[in-house]
Amino acid sequence: MMRQDKKLEHALQKVQKPGRYVGGELNAVVKDPSQVEVRFAFCFPDTYEIGMSHLGIKILYSAFNEVPYFWCERVFAPWVDMEEEMRRENIPLYGLESGDPVNQFDFIGFTLQYELSYTNVLNMLELAGIPLRSADRPDLFNIVVGGGPCACNPEPLADFFDIFFLGDGEEVDMEVMELYRQCKKEGKSKTEFLEQAAQIEGVYVPAFYDVSYNPDGTVKEYVPTHGAPKTVKKRVIRDMNKAYYPKDFVVPLIDVVHNRISEEVLRGCIRGCRFCQAGFLYRPYREKSIETIDRQCRDLCHSTGYDEISLSSLSTSDYARLNELIDTLHQWTEGEKVSLSLPSLRVDNFSPQLMERINSVRKSGLTFAPEAGSQRMRDVINKNVTEEELMRTVNVAFTEGWTRIKLYFMIGLPTETMEDVLAIDELGQKVVDAFYQNKEKPKGKGVEVSLSAAAFVPKPFTPFQWFGQDTMETLQEKQYALKGGVHSRKISVSYHGAQTSFLEAVFARGDRRLCVVMEKAREMGLRFDGWDDCFHFDKWMEAFQACGLDPAFYANRHREFDEVFPWDHLDYGVKKEFFIEECKRAYQNMTTPNCREQCSHCGAACYGGGICVEKRASVV
Amino acid sequence: MKNVRVWFEKQGSVRYISHLDLTRCMSRGLKLSGLPVWYTEGFNPRIYMTYAMPLSLGVCGERECMDIRLTEDRPLDQLAEAINAHLPQDLRVLDATEPVDPFESIQWGVYEIQLETQDPDGLEQQLGALLAREEILVLKHTKKGEKEFDIKPDFSSVQWTRENGGLRLSLRLPCSMNGSTNPALLLDALKRYEGAKPYCSITRKQLLTKDFSELR
Repeated sequence: MMRQDKKLEHALQKVQKPGRYVGGELNAVVKDPSQVEVRFAFCFPDTYEIGMSHLGIKILYSAFNEVPYFWCERVFAPWVDMEEEMRRENIPLYGLESGDPVNQFDFIGFTLQYELSYTNVLNMLELAGIPLRSADRPDLFNIVVGGGPCACNPEPLADFFDIFFLGDGEEVDMEVMELYRQCKKEGKSKTEFLEQAAQIEGVYVPAFYDVSYNPDGTVKEYVPTHGAPKTVKKRVIRDMNKAYYPKDFVVPLIDVVHNRISEEVLRGCIRGCRFCQAGFLYRPYREKSIETIDRQCRDLCHSTGYDEISLSSLSTSDYARLNELIDTLHQWTEGEKVSLSLPSLRVDNFSPQLMERINSVRKSGLTFAPEAGSQRMRDVINKNVTEEELMRTVNVAFTEGWTRIKLYFMIGLPTETMEDVLAIDELGQKVVDAFYQNKEKPKGKGVEVSLSAAAFVPKPFTPFQWFGQDTMETLQEKQYALKGGVHSRKISVSYHGAQTSFLEAVFARGDRRLCVVMEKAREMGLRFDGWDDCFHFDKWMEAFQACGLDPAFYANRHREFDEVFPWDHLDYGVKKEFFIEECKRAYQNMTTPNCREQCSHCGAACYGGGICVEKRASVV
Repeated sequence: MKNVRVWFEKQGSVRYISHLDLTRCMSRGLKLSGLPVWYTEGFNPRIYMTYAMPLSLGVCGERECMDIRLTEDRPLDQLAEAINAHLPQDLRVLDATEPVDPFESIQWGVYEIQLETQDPDGLEQQLGALLAREEILVLKHTKKGEKEFDIKPDFSSVQWTRENGGLRLSLRLPCSMNGSTNPALLLDALKRYEGAKPYCSITRKQLLTKDFSELR
């Protein structure tokens, strides 16, 4: 168990869910500090329950700790009650394994999953007593690094971080830690270390790029210095069967959001939905073999004691040999009383056969994401799902005994009209009608259809990266229309977050000038912006005003194709020309085939992995 | 089928987890131990475990117990080791025995409360004054709202010694399926009547049956 002093013990007596702050879990890695050379504080900028559900931290935690002279510990954002105690009692942010303060670590690494967790990043640095700005940390120590999807445009955090890792972290992170170890031994300076690090593929050192702006506020150019590359290419693990995967997971003492084994069955996505950033960032599509998945699942079951395995990925039902995989796993999972689950289902490959094999899906409700109400709109976003498919799927579900259907949508999509918005209600009505027309529906039960509409946030590295987000007023009009367009008591409508989506849009496509706003927001006490009870929109607007920046410039402004983006010097394989082409096709209601049907030459083939090469092999 | 009583201690970091979380930990540990534990036969089979008396969050337990069932005979002296290999550090199985007393016979819990203070003399006086009262009323949250409740009869057994600049209290409280008294109520009373807010750590030492003999 980690070291606990009296002050901490007293704080634990006063807070909700103290189990978040004590470590001591099964499979947590505790090493002797005198025997390790590089200590890494893996910080997740949200609560323990969220962070412990995240697969990336589990993979990297185990990978780092496998090296005898590295020691990686976990750090989560303390909830507001604990933060208050920590500030009052002067308890610095600490690692859950040793209890040592985070400012004693060589690396402080953040995973950047979500724009609205940025204030937590700064707040955690502050709670650790580490100077926020990279420039204020001159020594080769307390190196602040970040990775994850938001690292594709990390500019709003650029002044605070020393290094961002682009792409798959399994290899590049450890190469940088190894380099640090060498530099430390040789007595090199922080700048010398960063200069060498910048030469490693997947490493972005923001301080080595000078940015200039046009009079209209857009970016003029990025000029590399210190010998850093003109563009930084993301790192890719070419063969997922050879990628590191943990044999055990830390098993939390308290219940967390996803308290089960996550087995990553594939990385990337074949679909190319135009709103989806992950679908482009993680290209190329790479599957693990059935043998690899089977072995990894067995290892994890035998080290954790979990009785559920979630086969995770961006779209697990796209796994080419899914039925065969599930049959293979069933050979032993049933005997060991382990159940399988799929995190996401696609409308177009839902079948009773699949449902029978996945026994953990509760009969109570099924969730699908058509994303848009009208066919035209679904064509625009390249969500290749038809109304017929949806109707076929819900009929299968009704026949199999389900009566609650939840459908996810987005509003505020490019080219969207009020007609498209109302088509969401119509689709909901058609699902209700389908239930009553279904002769095999469950007897004596009504149907419940819930329609959930999120506000669309345009993101970098998508065909919609040029799109000016709908204003909050427009979004609210659409939300009211959606609510008003329902004429059945069987249908419920929910929508959320025009304000949070606006802020998300600002930071998703923001530039370096936003760093001061981040700093200001932190000073004003903002954090946990993704949590309704902590989100203070007015304070955020105050922060923008105080810094003289207009958030609408980042969120609502339409960009031209020739504009230089703050992320143009970062290369994720998929070419800008491809996004332009896709954007044009979107505005013409034209769909694009998925990677399995036909290669659209996005550029990800440059990594020579996954579906890009498999397909060539089959063509020859 | 054989009933087995598993004795364990809950301390350190594990004292901060709820009873439900404890059962999850135990269930995973039992599963990994490979012991032939009996599963319930419902729609979602789970390992059969029944606990004597759940501990409140934050309270340590030195000798707690639960009953499980084994479908095949196993030497009981090897159970602890088999399970401990798969439990978090601060949750330890001590031994396993054949159950003698039913859980219904549990009547008392023996507790130790460690009070920390800068001023042991003052605290001792405050504690003495509190316990000398005719009645000690505390607010208890019930389903019907808050209710005043006299804890004086329950806390008549409190004894204390000075230790490490603080006080160490030992006491015996009702603890049964018909109702239990939370030792932390004494702290509420200290605050209410004497304005004292010492830090405390609470440990349940053991469970006793009606005639004050140790639960077996």
